[in-house]
Amino acid sequence: MNLGRFLRGALAFTMLIVLQYSVRPLLGWRINADFLVIGVLLMAVRMRPGQAAILGFLTGLISDSPVPDAFGAGALAMTLIAFAASWLKAVFFADNVVLHAFFFLVGKWAFDIVYALAEHRLTVSEMVVQLLLWSPLAGAATALAGVLLLLLFRSALEPRTA
Amino acid sequence: MARATRTDSRVDTAVLAVCIGLALFALVLPDRSRDGVAAALRRTIVAPLLVLQRQAERARGALVERDRVNARVDSLSLNNALVPQLRDENERLRQLLGLGAQLQWGFVPAEVLHNAGGIAEDDVVMLTAGATAGVRSRAPVVAPDGLIGVVTRTDPGTSQAILWTHPDFRVSAMAADGSAFGIVQPHQGPDPDRFMLEMRGVAFRDVLKVGTVITSSGLGGVFPRGIPIGVVVGELKTLEGWARTYILRPAVRPQDVVHVMVLTPDRAASDIAGVWSSVATADSAVRRIAAAGDSIARQEADQRAARQRMLDSAAAMLSGVNVAPSVTASDSLRPRLNIPGLKRDSVRRDSIRRP
Repeated sequence: MNLGRFLRGALAFTMLIVLQYSVRPLLGWRINADFLVIGVLLMAVRMRPGQAAILGFLTGLISDSPVPDAFGAGALAMTLIAFAASWLKAVFFADNVVLHAFFFLVGKWAFDIVYALAEHRLTVSEMVVQLLLWSPLAGAATALAGVLLLLLFRSALEPRTA
Repeated sequence: MARATRTDSRVDTAVLAVCIGLALFALVLPDRSRDGVAAALRRTIVAPLLVLQRQAERARGALVERDRVNARVDSLSLNNALVPQLRDENERLRQLLGLGAQLQWGFVPAEVLHNAGGIAEDDVVMLTAGATAGVRSRAPVVAPDGLIGVVTRTDPGTSQAILWTHPDFRVSAMAADGSAFGIVQPHQGPDPDRFMLEMRGVAFRDVLKVGTVITSSGLGGVFPRGIPIGVVVGELKTLEGWARTYILRPAVRPQDVVHVMVLTPDRAASDIAGVWSSVATADSAVRRIAAAGDSIARQEADQRAARQRMLDSAAAMLSGVNVAPSVTASDSLRPRLNIPGLKRDSVRRDSIRRP
């Protein structure tokens, strides 16, 4: 990765973090796009799996800090999806909008599953509703937002093809 | 090459294991340690993001509040639009209350339904009180301002009345001081004069001045003496050489009337002299009592108090006494008091001087 590409990626990642803490609270919807997941996934596919795991871990810690009760759950979930994204990208991922959307949806859903299991605060029924209803919807919102951002900022966010 | 790849892969796996280990360690940390680490992050790296989040939530709150405020303003505007209508109705009801208090007995209150019940004529109305309530045919229909018409037909629950604008309407009338008599009927002139009355058959020797109040005379047995009918606005030149005809401005405009009183036969036959002359007094008394709690009255009281304070401040200033800081003098003070040498600036300075 050359320096320009790295800087563009870092800028895009920072922008997505800012969006996470500005757009989501502003909208206040029950179903929100997760810009942190988008950022981690997009950055992960540019990195080696180990680097992606570190990025996911640090981003997860940032997202966990406002809610100390589940501190570590976000870090664990982000680590896993970042590593998986990087590893899957290296194996077979293609540069396709529909596949990107699917990639974001699955990434967000997987994040929610790991997070819900790790924080173990929800009851079984709440977890079922969360993981089978709200998480897929949030995943769809994340996929939509991710694809839109990719189209808008193609040069900065376009992943490196394998 | 393959060896290097294998090494990289091992390193990646090791990093993953370390990250997972750290995350699990964070999950099982004691609450105190966990809070400490989270707080340290919130104070440093995450602090700008939390500020951003707080601002965004505040902006959202403002947007939601704006919608609520808009809804509140809309409902207030709607209520405000009804205020003049309610005020008018209140005024009418107060006047009617004053009339009822003066009549004391022998009347039936009713609402007027203009063009109701299939009656297409403008000068015939339906009243919401009928024979069951004591309304009889040929009963006078009156309002706080004077005579409106006469009942022509009654049903158990409703009755029908002709207004003074009806071509068949006649009432024996006189000047309020009893100096002249005549018959009042609607003036059948062109449109602008259509809603006027004319008093016919006034003796040639009786000259009525403009502004003379005309009331019912009590002759004829239908209308009791003393109900206001109108005010003389001029003499109408006619071919009749032995009598005068006067144009009257009616005391009541029928289209404005919603609530009326129908006099019962007993009341119409009895003395009602002085009822209408004291209606105005009673009305104003009722209004004063009712308005005591009104905001308008409070506002007026505040204005009076402000005027009084202003005069007090001027008096205190003239006598060299310091004025309380909250008292402010108006710019119009100087010309009103007409005090030579008293400048506006000095007034303002004195009035705001701290003790």
